[in-house]
Amino acid sequence: MSSVPLSVYLVLALILFCIGLFGALTKRNAVIVLISIELMLNAVNINLVAFAKYGINPGITGQIFSLFTITVAAAEAAVGLAILIALYRNRKTVNVDEMDIMKH
Amino acid sequence: MNPLIWIIPVLPLLSFVLLLLFGRRLKEASAHVGALLTLGSLVLSIVVLLNQWGGEPVKETLSWLTFGETTLSAGYLVNPLNALMLVIVSLVSFLVQVYSGGYMHDDDRFPIFFAYLGLFTFAMLGLVLSPNLLQLYVFWELVGVGSFLLIGYYFYKREARSAAKKAFIMTRIGDVGLFIGMILLFWQVGSFEFDEIFAAVEAGEISEGWITLTAILIFVGAIGKSGQFPLHTWLPDAMEGPTPVSALIHAATMVAAGVYLVAAMFPLFQASEAALTTVAVVGGFTAIFAATIGLAQADIKRVLAYSTVSQLGYMMLALGSSGYVAGVFHLTTHAFFKALLFLAAGSVIHAVHTQNIHEMGGLWKKMKWTAPLFLIGAMAISGVPGLSGFFSKDEILAATYADGRFGLFWIAVIAAFLTAFYMFRLFFLVFTGESRGIQEKVKESPVSMTFPMIVLGILALIGGLINTPFATYLSDFLAQNEALEIHHHETRWWIPVVATGVSLLGILMAWLVYVKKKVTRFSESAPDLHYILLNKYFIDETYDYSFVKGTRALSYFWYYIDRFVVEGLVGLVTGIVGWFSKIGSRFQNGQVQLYSSVAFAGMAILLLVVAWIGGYLT
Amino acid sequence: MNGELIVFFILALVAIGSGILMLNLTKVVHMVIALVFTFLSIAGLYVMLSAEFLAFVQILIYSGAITIIMLFGIMLTRHSDRTESKIGVPRTVLVLGGIVAFFLVMFFQINDLSFGEQATVLHVDNTEKIGVELYSKFVIPFELTSVLLLVALVGAIVLAKRDDEEEAKDNE
Repeated sequence: MSSVPLSVYLVLALILFCIGLFGALTKRNAVIVLISIELMLNAVNINLVAFAKYGINPGITGQIFSLFTITVAAAEAAVGLAILIALYRNRKTVNVDEMDIMKH
Repeated sequence: MNPLIWIIPVLPLLSFVLLLLFGRRLKEASAHVGALLTLGSLVLSIVVLLNQWGGEPVKETLSWLTFGETTLSAGYLVNPLNALMLVIVSLVSFLVQVYSGGYMHDDDRFPIFFAYLGLFTFAMLGLVLSPNLLQLYVFWELVGVGSFLLIGYYFYKREARSAAKKAFIMTRIGDVGLFIGMILLFWQVGSFEFDEIFAAVEAGEISEGWITLTAILIFVGAIGKSGQFPLHTWLPDAMEGPTPVSALIHAATMVAAGVYLVAAMFPLFQASEAALTTVAVVGGFTAIFAATIGLAQADIKRVLAYSTVSQLGYMMLALGSSGYVAGVFHLTTHAFFKALLFLAAGSVIHAVHTQNIHEMGGLWKKMKWTAPLFLIGAMAISGVPGLSGFFSKDEILAATYADGRFGLFWIAVIAAFLTAFYMFRLFFLVFTGESRGIQEKVKESPVSMTFPMIVLGILALIGGLINTPFATYLSDFLAQNEALEIHHHETRWWIPVVATGVSLLGILMAWLVYVKKKVTRFSESAPDLHYILLNKYFIDETYDYSFVKGTRALSYFWYYIDRFVVEGLVGLVTGIVGWFSKIGSRFQNGQVQLYSSVAFAGMAILLLVVAWIGGYLT
Repeated sequence: MNGELIVFFILALVAIGSGILMLNLTKVVHMVIALVFTFLSIAGLYVMLSAEFLAFVQILIYSGAITIIMLFGIMLTRHSDRTESKIGVPRTVLVLGGIVAFFLVMFFQINDLSFGEQATVLHVDNTEKIGVELYSKFVIPFELTSVLLLVALVGAIVLAKRDDEEEAKDNE
């Protein structure tokens, strides 16, 4: 029926996840780090939706699950940015590698 | 009898504690505190001695430690020898404290000095009262500490510091011998108690070889404390201490402790002919060896110090020749006249502020008390008939001759001649002739200093009467101790004559050389020999080049081994660990990204390993 | 090769290409724009996976809301506009190595994963189904999500708001 197999979606999701991970781990700008994390969440969502269609137990549940994920991701993005702005106000920087007071 | 014997050593200890605590407030009154408490000890000691006269030995002990079937005890023992030593020690200590009140009066640390004297006297009295070897050893070391403090009293002087260290270390070498001997005896007998050891020796429970070994080891301890050859070098150096200390330590107490030890352990020595011979030979050699050095010294206290070494050799010779009474007798008289000589020398030094006899001279008229008293002491030590030294030295010569040691006998006679010569050399150089130094205002010392000298002078004059060939009080008194077999040897008539002859000859020689100047001085007629004697046979230098330098070289060798090999290895280990942790700490830089990178890399490695092992990587 | 596959490959290429572009662009705003394309192509993929509602939500929330939030964040934080990647080579190697290992392991597990064809009709009345499920089976998580959103709202305001004291100080 469908000519696009599950594994191809999964590999696509994997590639996107890896791109997001690389960005999250190497970029200095905190905004980009947040964006990269969103990308990783998206990759997860693709997986959920793909399994909802081609998984062992296909059904609408997977889609609902990704709906929740999107909601939580939105909340996360909002709170993350709020923290970023508070940080910026105190330290005048958004560079992640300058936020190292945790070592003290 | 007297239940207050233990008070005798406690009084000086009390003086030590009191002066240590309240010395600053008492200031000059410290002398009174120290002297009065020691006077108390003296009075009690005399009471004990009188009670001992004809009485029974007293021994009381408390058990101290019990392990297995062995009990270590602590307590006190009074027998004739101990009682006599108690009186000698407390008497000399008392007189020295009275004397020090005058001699030290403008010293900054006046109370501390008396506190040390109290500690030393306590240790010495405790040593004398010890009923067993272990307790004796404890006090023996305490005496060492006391002497260390007293010799190093002028610690701001480098010589005094090194002299104190030297005294401590040299005697410590002997102490090791004593300690080993003591432990071996304990191993063999199972007890430290004197009477049990003697009983075991008597019953033949210990083999001949063990007796000889332990006796010689104990004698090594005595060599260290009594300044016998070859451990004698600390004694002359110890003259860096204040002069009253020299009188106390080097005339009557600490150096006598070695002789006392041999005397106290005498039954053990008697059981071994070899041990007795060792004692006699070492004593005889030391006697003549130190006497020859005494001929050339220029420092008044050093002459007396070598004289002390020589006289201690005499005592050892007497003990080694089975002359128990002679040894103890000479110990007694020597305590009197040598303390007198030291105190008189201190009085002279106090007056002229120099110790070099070549800078003195002509003091006879200026020091009305000191000079005659010094003369009495010199005559006593030289063996002029009628004085104390005459009788005790005769005893020793007679004992040596009776024991069949003719070689040592003649050595002792020569040593007697040398003694007379160097003592009168000292006397003539110091008190007669013209004044050679700057002696503008030479004054006689105060009464507090002359009084002890007068007391000692009287004792030096008449002290010999306690044991003359006609009235052997001391001999009878000491013979009360049943553990001893005291040899009574008939006095040969010619021995006193020879002894008198050589001592008078010695005095005459000194007179000819130093007063009449008929005979050329030794330093001019035999300069090489004089040089050797002046440098004390280079014994110190020999020790320095052999033991000190050798030890130092060995130490340096191991130091460098430790520094570079051992420490290098340790450094390598710590370096590696430090290197690792430095790398590790670089990851701890507070950056979340790095943390998560490492965590993720770790997880990836784990995944890889699990997949590899599980065979999924196909 | 049918039409569906072609569409998939185009969408996948756009998603991956935009992602890589995001990594390599230097201006922050450009990066965000690049990401919008990724989000849009993912929405396209959702449609292919019979999730029309989800695709709609993806465009609304990701391409709309989150991107706008990010742009606000970029505007509110004054930075040099350019993000220069200045991390050291060892760390890049470490991260890259880890990611490659992770990718390889995962890739070998999923590249031939298939559960067979399932007869599902998710695309029919998709929105209605989701609505029914949400309000019946998942009603409690749904309500919890609303609470979460409220908390996030309050939290974001509190965090981003200036302190009164600070404000007073600045005004003086």
